[in-house]
Amino acid sequence: MTRMELALAQAANGDASAFASIVREHQAMVFSLACHFLHDRTLAEDMAQEVFLHLYQNLETIQSSTHLKFWLRKVASHRCIDQAREHKPHVNIEEIPEPAGRSAESDPLLAQRLQRLVASLPDRARLVVILRFQEELEYHEIAEVLEMPINTVKSNLQRALAILRNKLERCMGDVPV
Amino acid sequence: MNPLDYELKNALRREEPSADFTERVLARIQSAPARKPDWREGLRKIFRLHALQWATAAALCVAIIIGMVAYRRHQRTLAERAEGEKARAQVMLALHIASTRLNVALREVQRAESPRRIRTDLKSAKTMEHL
Repeated sequence: MTRMELALAQAANGDASAFASIVREHQAMVFSLACHFLHDRTLAEDMAQEVFLHLYQNLETIQSSTHLKFWLRKVASHRCIDQAREHKPHVNIEEIPEPAGRSAESDPLLAQRLQRLVASLPDRARLVVILRFQEELEYHEIAEVLEMPINTVKSNLQRALAILRNKLERCMGDVPV
Repeated sequence: MNPLDYELKNALRREEPSADFTERVLARIQSAPARKPDWREGLRKIFRLHALQWATAAALCVAIIIGMVAYRRHQRTLAERAEGEKARAQVMLALHIASTRLNVALREVQRAESPRRIRTDLKSAKTMEHL
């Protein structure tokens, strides 16, 4: 039994500190998914909290640490889509605030621009891009998380990358994309 | 990896939420109303057995089904054999009756034919004498 599986078993028996360790271990994943999708830190924190609250209520259904990761990604992704459906804002790239400063090995300006461009993608395509590049999931894993055929994942990703490349070329001019 | 993929990975790196995120999650959990146990959860608990127990139960079920099928097949064979024996006995009885009746009839025929044969023999003897 791994450390996380032990923590899962303890948390299921009502151990709050074990649940806290589970949250600490996975909060960056859930929060980043929401943050990159919603492009709003406050909303993303709120949503991530709801995801962990939901996890707490369903701890008994989690079978392993792998299942936990899959479950969190799935619930977070579906909540993102629900949120987008409920609010459905018209995303204008120029209205999206610049993210807070962050260290990046490559061009930080390009990274910020890319985040804004990703936020302007259609909901499903945005999630596919986030799961592919943030979580580094394979096509079949994305298909499982989003409950969509693998070919739809591939076509969504290809379309999204084409849009991003096109917009980035227009925004940045002569950028090696 | 092409440059866009690399830049996307960099732009979409994981980020940490605010420092008190975990504490706020725990506070929300404590303030959330206690959950009433769902009847489906109860059912799930009952049926949530260890994999080995499930395998044993499944093997037991398969063994019981196979045993029942074998027992029914054996019973059917016994019944068929009994019916066959009964039919054989009936055929033997019928043959015996038929044979007895044929013997009686044959004896009757022989008895009826005996005086006529004597008369025919005498008539042929007289004809020979006359010649």
